[in-house]
Amino acid sequence: MGMPIVVEVRDGDVPDAVFDWFGQVDETFSTFKEGSEISWLRRGELGLDDACPDVRDVLHRCRELRAETEGWFDVDAVGLDPSGYVKGWSVDRAAAILEGAGAHEYAINAGGDIRTRGRWRIGIQHPREPQAVAKVVEADDVCIATSGGYERGQHVLDPFTRAGSAGILSVTVTGPELGTADAYATAAFAMGQRGVIDWTARLRGYEALTILADGRVLATPGFPAASRAARS
Amino acid sequence: MNKARITVVAGIAALAIPVANATAAAKKKILTVTKSINGPQAVADRWGYVQVTLVVKKTTTIVGKHKTVKRRITSVNVPVYPDHADRSVFIAQQSLPYLTQEVLQAQFDPNIQMVSGATATSFAFVQSLQSALVAAKKA
Repeated sequence: MGMPIVVEVRDGDVPDAVFDWFGQVDETFSTFKEGSEISWLRRGELGLDDACPDVRDVLHRCRELRAETEGWFDVDAVGLDPSGYVKGWSVDRAAAILEGAGAHEYAINAGGDIRTRGRWRIGIQHPREPQAVAKVVEADDVCIATSGGYERGQHVLDPFTRAGSAGILSVTVTGPELGTADAYATAAFAMGQRGVIDWTARLRGYEALTILADGRVLATPGFPAASRAARS
Repeated sequence: MNKARITVVAGIAALAIPVANATAAAKKKILTVTKSINGPQAVADRWGYVQVTLVVKKTTTIVGKHKTVKRRITSVNVPVYPDHADRSVFIAQQSLPYLTQEVLQAQFDPNIQMVSGATATSFAFVQSLQSALVAAKKA
């Protein structure tokens, strides 16, 4: 997948099985490797019924996510590319491996999308100042995914409006599953300002924080706050 | 409401086709049709209905028998139904209280253990491209 994955375990070692798992995910789902199952599917050399259970499960969930996001999360839009879900999903599975090895205090960070167990202090990247964060989240057992167009100062231009995704700098989603949170963040970022306000306000089981280009930060009421607000 | 819209679109098509046939020689012919496409009325929780209108410009280029069609979204409007001024203002203001609002601030917190942020530019580009294509497909 070409991104750094950081696994931190406070109460034990990181089992090799976690790294083996991420290697296996890359072998199966990479859109860059010609021999991956996803590449076979993309070329039509493998039918979905003949794909391995993980691939079938992932693609099935991606279809569900397309419906849940009113079409904005669409893995078929540029050929078959489920990467936007696979990243978070693979972290969810890696967390289960850590749990199986007895870990209760850990964090997994895959390219800015994080799943934690225990209490961790997590910053949400400031979209305009690389050294700063826009918000601090301190919570137990959280999945947090951010989608935006600001990495290394380059803004992704919306081809219709010539603005950063229609007024949005970034969307952060938290909830029980990282794969779903990641897909929701991706979809919400794509919706543009008008869409994101209505859609995130209706989310169930997940919370969202949207940073608009005009400097407003909009959050659902249940979005986890920093410790100062939570403990006082 | 849907019926009326379809009639209008069919009218444009009926006008366009004879023109296209008449110039089907090797000559290059460009036809543009701009039309409004209404999305379905969506229930905006208890506040009423919202309906999005896209203005799509369709450019048909004909060279001989070869025909290419390009569609481009030129504007997006969100009229509120029923179309009543007081009500639309009310809805626009009341859609925000579901969300808390703050002003963006830069914080420099040395105790942060991890940072959640957008992934690499190429990935964001794919996201943006996907959303644009989804939008175009829906147009």
